[in-house]
Amino acid sequence: MTLLAAQRAFVAEIAADDDLPSSSLGMAIYRNAYRGRLADALAVSFERTRRWVGEEMFELAAAHYILTHPPQSWTLDAYGADFPEALAELFADDPEVAELAWLEWHMQQAFAAPDRATLTGEALAAAEPDWEQLRLAPAAGLTWREVNHDLAALWHGLTDRSALAATEPAVLLIWRKDLSPHFRLLSPDEFAALEPLLDGASFGEAASQVGEAGLARFGQLFAKWLSEGLFSAIDSQSQ
Amino acid sequence: MSETIPPFTGFGLGLRKEHHAQFLGAEQKVDFVEIISENFMACGGRPLRTLDAMRERHPVIMHGVSMSLGSPAGLNRDYLTELKLLADRTRPLWVSDHLCWTGIPGHNSHDLLPLPYTNEALATCIANLKLAQDVLERPLLVENPSSYMTFPESTMSEWQFLKALAEESGCYLLLDVNNVFVSSVNHHFDPLEFLNVIPRDRVRQIHLAGHSQGPEGLLIDTHDAPVCAEVWALYAKAIDRFGPCATMIERDDAIPPLDDLLAELDQAREAASVLA
Repeated sequence: MTLLAAQRAFVAEIAADDDLPSSSLGMAIYRNAYRGRLADALAVSFERTRRWVGEEMFELAAAHYILTHPPQSWTLDAYGADFPEALAELFADDPEVAELAWLEWHMQQAFAAPDRATLTGEALAAAEPDWEQLRLAPAAGLTWREVNHDLAALWHGLTDRSALAATEPAVLLIWRKDLSPHFRLLSPDEFAALEPLLDGASFGEAASQVGEAGLARFGQLFAKWLSEGLFSAIDSQSQ
Repeated sequence: MSETIPPFTGFGLGLRKEHHAQFLGAEQKVDFVEIISENFMACGGRPLRTLDAMRERHPVIMHGVSMSLGSPAGLNRDYLTELKLLADRTRPLWVSDHLCWTGIPGHNSHDLLPLPYTNEALATCIANLKLAQDVLERPLLVENPSSYMTFPESTMSEWQFLKALAEESGCYLLLDVNNVFVSSVNHHFDPLEFLNVIPRDRVRQIHLAGHSQGPEGLLIDTHDAPVCAEVWALYAKAIDRFGPCATMIERDDAIPPLDDLLAELDQAREAASVLA
């Protein structure tokens, strides 16, 4: 047997279902370590989700994920990337679980995302941009998704399940300002105004989408987004 | 590329996030810190700021866990690229990883898995090590891991394998004294035989750590306890053979207060000074 074939058999054994016996005590130790390491990584990455669903349910979900999602990246830090999606299937009747897991995962991603300096209002004004053509790059780690629950309450440790009600759809936005990750729930209206800028539209194009009547509010929102640190730089082509 | 690594003697600790604030807030009695390379690769934000601040205070060693030198499928080029970027930024004393494999294409175990000590495995490790050293433009240090099984197809011992690896690839060695002890108990060999075959001029660093008792008399390399008396005794033998070299206490679980680790590091200083 070649070394590669032996290694394939080794990995197949340590990743196999618990029902299958290990071929030796040593293999049992490696198998146990494999499960334990991956389960620990999920528990650390999804601490709030774990508290919300309870330890027992979390462990069952993690065990299922470990069996169905072999780690592929060189870094263990990437292992939970698909866990929110897996939880959406496993907790189909409790969609807040996957929403909370998504929030946890992306807050961590934002924390360590590659650096992008926050664009301040002062820096933007000093650049004297051509506003019509101005394009902005999003902040480090910026991402979003639609949610239907009060994620702020869940994030801050809500434990009373009866106190969590489904809300109107909102957009959960995550980004990093300087060294700290942030999140905020945006109304669909506010996000509709912001999204073109995040997608690479120019300021002029984004403003034209809100129409004449919405321009004043768009200006106010833009000032707020800048103060929140949602942008990192002026696209060089628009200077 | 420089083909040698000058000796660096001193006593250091593995940098763990539980102690970041203390390391950054005050001068600590260490001669170097060792980071886990993967914790600082392909990222920005506070982790990199912490590393930058640490570099201003202490020499840094980069210790990796994901190179998978024993993979016949070859090394992950994305991983090597990110490691090179971090090494260029950090300018560490040296970069190290383990004599092991971590997975197969498409499935990473994130563990340090054992190799059979065969000519095929040796050729695999040498080829991978040479590639890594070429990409990183520096010789690497390779650490002996703990293991919990042996392979009937092995044709040489672990220490003969490491000796041949160093001679053929030009790498240096990171001698983990706890791992020598753990494997010697698990596989019933004399740890002094291990030390006595390792080339004197290739060891640049020593790891000391604690372990725990596993099933059926096996020891498990858990890094969650103080260094035990048997490992201190073996450390004295290692210093006696290899001379003073960078020595580090490695703790990865049940992380104690920093002062406890600094006290344990003083114990290493004392043990080494007796033999100096």
